[in-house]
Amino acid sequence: MSGHTPAEILASHPFTADLSEEDRAQLARLARLAVYDPDDYLLREGQPATAFYLIVEGLVSIELFIPGHGPRPLQTVEGGSAVGWSWMLAPSRWEFDARALERTTAVVLDGERLRDLFIEDCCLGLRVVHRLLFVVAERLKAARLQLLDLYGPPREL
Amino acid sequence: MREPTGAPPPGANPYIPVPFRVSGRRRETADTVTLRLRSPSGDGLPFEPGQFMMLYVFGVGEVPVSASGAPRRAGILEHTVRAVGPVTRRLVALRRGDWVGVRGPFGRGWPLALAEGFDVLIVAGGLGLAPLRSALLQILAQRDRYRQVTVLYGARSPADLLYRLDLSRWQQRPDLELRVTVDRADERWRGQIGVVPALIAQVERHFEPARTVALVCGPEVMMRFTVRELQKRGVPDDLIYLSLERNMKCALGLCGHCQFGPAFICKDGPVMPFSRLAPFSEIREL
Repeated sequence: MSGHTPAEILASHPFTADLSEEDRAQLARLARLAVYDPDDYLLREGQPATAFYLIVEGLVSIELFIPGHGPRPLQTVEGGSAVGWSWMLAPSRWEFDARALERTTAVVLDGERLRDLFIEDCCLGLRVVHRLLFVVAERLKAARLQLLDLYGPPREL
Repeated sequence: MREPTGAPPPGANPYIPVPFRVSGRRRETADTVTLRLRSPSGDGLPFEPGQFMMLYVFGVGEVPVSASGAPRRAGILEHTVRAVGPVTRRLVALRRGDWVGVRGPFGRGWPLALAEGFDVLIVAGGLGLAPLRSALLQILAQRDRYRQVTVLYGARSPADLLYRLDLSRWQQRPDLELRVTVDRADERWRGQIGVVPALIAQVERHFEPARTVALVCGPEVMMRFTVRELQKRGVPDDLIYLSLERNMKCALGLCGHCQFGPAFICKDGPVMPFSRLAPFSEIREL
């Protein structure tokens, strides 16, 4: 994927593939391609949330650092999904860490310019936010199921 | 298009257990072992993947346990047992040379003949991998009969993963797509963290929904969410097969302990298509 431009990747990425060519071209103007080695951080808790990450390939761990215990991984995100929505929400600071577990490629979209674009083109904003809501809902559903501890030992009847 | 039948087990009296000797024991996790049982006579109890046996610890009691080994190995059974109560604790504590009583096989297994010529999507959660291992071993032994084969497996933590040697072998097969996830892990785990239904989105390109037979086993909540993910993608209800767990006692469809709506899980299941379960799936406490 490193030989491709952000525009080419957005044309096939599940998050953006079904947007119009024009919409994708607008997003591509705010995008750059980034490659992360294993254990590189895409983003860190507390730092300004300045970007939106579309994971192209690799595996990213969403985690929280617990003093005395180290990083506590909570969920992973694979290629084809997205990481980070704090750039949309004031005060725009990351709430968790995101660390590459494998060599990971991402399309990184500038958060501030995205917000400006959404004000300028509300319809595009709605389409992107709708997709992001789907990602958030899936992540929330997964987190709720994780809380249930489904594989705990059953009662013998 | 032949489905495994729920025919009564062979033998004059299905209530009388056949003695088997423990010939091997492999610890899977802190509370789970896989027992290999051998018939002294060398005779079967031949089973089909997905069927279950009643395992009897003499003087203690009897529990239903799915067959987890390769079928068609005359006189040899494998069962993966988790210690959760008095009988299973004794089963887990059995040692090589100990005796165990076996009745079975019972019930209907996985529709492996039906799945021939189809993509096969196996979705397992926790101990639910045990009956699906048996199906997968048979599928891999006849790999050319099936199209794309995908296995999704979720466990509580890396320490709770079953069949590690198998997983490592399956991971290396070019004709099998395997994804493993855990609900929780520490930073030493380099694999996926999350629930198993969420893996279905990752493997969409590996199966054609209308030509996919899905085999699902795990906790009922996990199966419920898995079914929804499969339905969203267009896998037909009559090609989604679930293995249900209920309170099996007689295993012959007589005592009624395992009744689920109009069906007896021991006889009409444990493997059933979702199309048959759907009318009852929203009834709580059933």
